[in-house]
Amino acid sequence: MRMRLALPNTRQTVFIGWIALLSLLALLGVGTAIWVFKEGLVVTNLSNQVPWGLWITVDLSSIALSGGAFFLSALVYIAGIERFKPAARLAVFAGMLGYGAALCTLLIDIGRPDRFYHPLVFWNVHSMLWEVSMCIVLYFSVLTLEVFPLVTTHPFFDRLPRVRALAERIHKAAPVLAFLGLGFSMLHQSSLGATYGVVIARPIWFRPTMPLLFIVSAIAAGPALTITLALIVGWLRGRAIVPRDVLFDIARIAGLVLLVYLYMRFWDAMAGNYGYVPLRSEATAVLTKGSMALSFWSWEIVLGTVIPAVLLLWAAFTKREAELFIGSSMAVIGLIANRWHTTIVGLTTPLTTNPALTYPLIPSYTPAWTEWAVAIGIIGGVLLVFTLGVRYLPAFNPQSDSH
Amino acid sequence: MTAKTTLLSRREFVKLATQVGVSAAVVGAFMQIRGALTKAKAGSHGPVSDAYHWVMVIDLGRCTGCNYCTYACKATNDTAPGITWNAVFNDRQSFAKEVYLARPCMHCEHAPCVEVCPVGATYHRADGLVAMDYDLCIGCRYCQIACPYGARYFNWEDNNQPNPMAPEWGKPEIERRPRGVVEKCTFCTHRIDAGLENGLRPGIDEDATPACVNICPVKARQFGDLNDPDSKVSKLLAERESIQLREDLGTHPRVYYMLPERGEDQTCA
Repeated sequence: MRMRLALPNTRQTVFIGWIALLSLLALLGVGTAIWVFKEGLVVTNLSNQVPWGLWITVDLSSIALSGGAFFLSALVYIAGIERFKPAARLAVFAGMLGYGAALCTLLIDIGRPDRFYHPLVFWNVHSMLWEVSMCIVLYFSVLTLEVFPLVTTHPFFDRLPRVRALAERIHKAAPVLAFLGLGFSMLHQSSLGATYGVVIARPIWFRPTMPLLFIVSAIAAGPALTITLALIVGWLRGRAIVPRDVLFDIARIAGLVLLVYLYMRFWDAMAGNYGYVPLRSEATAVLTKGSMALSFWSWEIVLGTVIPAVLLLWAAFTKREAELFIGSSMAVIGLIANRWHTTIVGLTTPLTTNPALTYPLIPSYTPAWTEWAVAIGIIGGVLLVFTLGVRYLPAFNPQSDSH
Repeated sequence: MTAKTTLLSRREFVKLATQVGVSAAVVGAFMQIRGALTKAKAGSHGPVSDAYHWVMVIDLGRCTGCNYCTYACKATNDTAPGITWNAVFNDRQSFAKEVYLARPCMHCEHAPCVEVCPVGATYHRADGLVAMDYDLCIGCRYCQIACPYGARYFNWEDNNQPNPMAPEWGKPEIERRPRGVVEKCTFCTHRIDAGLENGLRPGIDEDATPACVNICPVKARQFGDLNDPDSKVSKLLAERESIQLREDLGTHPRVYYMLPERGEDQTCA
């Protein structure tokens, strides 16, 4: 089972160029991260008024977009839809990298990275963030166990039969891991929303719908990312990595969930803003007709939710990959836009209606270059490992090579 | 088949028992070490002792906005240049005349910061005051986001500069906080604790009273024990109308504000 090294020349050049680009981005991220560790968070544009920003958006987005892993695994191993296995495999691999990205971003975002383990040792069980931290660590472990048997399919492990035997034993526990993954994800995907939802000081966040909206949007956009990745890899390779009919079935599910999300979002907005609610109405106005309105209506609502919902369902009927790709990738962008808008609008709204009791101006926030560099570096690093994994792991290069 | 009639052989039983014992010992040691490292002995739900009920009373009618309280606080608590545990705001809208509103930490009974801290680095002391354990804080800043009063500050950078407020406004009395942790007003607990040990009365004896209260040239700030009916704070609160900030949130702050004299078109903060 030798790996093909003889790519056509131009494709090989493009591949090497792509790897080089991602490596450069990852290096840029690592270099900037070291600079931030050395200088402190003063080199960011975060402030006492806006203590969370771009990096939290990266955390929230990468965790939500990794939601394909738990959802598709649950469909395969709990609902018993075996056909979805290639999609679940891809989602689990991407999911592990997504959680890895979130952990890296959290590490740089906290003021004392040397105390990263404190949530595991010093528990405040009342804290949403404690629960999220525990779940992320535990679920990352589950994903690593799920990915381990995929990695040991590589010929390198021909020399290590004991490692491969261990991997096979772990693989037999796949249903158990899927069940654990479902449990941890149900907990933290929603409590990430509750992290905002319990903050009584910020009425735009303080709603019981926050955890529900977070998990439902993750169940829609997570599988959408899996579709996007499967399509891109399939096109580049000239051979589907996930069977087409599976992708269209997942598109139908993701489209329906996106419609459910839109429906929940609509009634949440209607019921939550009926009449004047102090500070919530002001924050809502910033989104719907204020400084963030253009970005909110275009990227989050129309391009990011309505159109993808329609396109995903449309693609499921027409079986056309163009609609499928545009729909799934727009759903991913819509989710990122939602996490960004949610974070920033909550933080840039004053804490009380009395101008004397809070900061005199609505603070603004634009990420500093350091924040962009670290964020882009982490995304580049994740894409690098993803590209190499999908390219070289036999688990993602089935049949036609060996047969 | 017949050889193995019991559920476990002796060897298996010994092995299992050892495993359970070792696991229990590891968990026990973990809990012990954690307990030794954690200052938050009290739960996160308000005071466990009702020996004292410390409150601060600020008279909005008296305050002239001189900012001495801020200066004394910055000197005594050795805060970094960008950090102001006790901020003073101008309020031109709430009352007929302009008032100055000093905002220390409210030391809420239902403190959002205590609830949200993932590691329990901010906690209720036995007397109910909200304190920080700088050795636990990971600097996630969730408490800043959750505090309805904007009373929390993060150490964005190292503070190696001399304190511009010292010694003119007071001598630094507590250790500087390291970069990367959140801090806030303590009600000068170091003075309260040391004072009580030496038989002093916080709110009466200056050495046991918060720096901002001592420095105030117009006696707009008072500190004391609400459990003591003869304390100044008890008498003031019994005699005059007062408010707390954002009472609607149910945080039950320990800072009370005396309203200025009634004027026209007065509205409540």
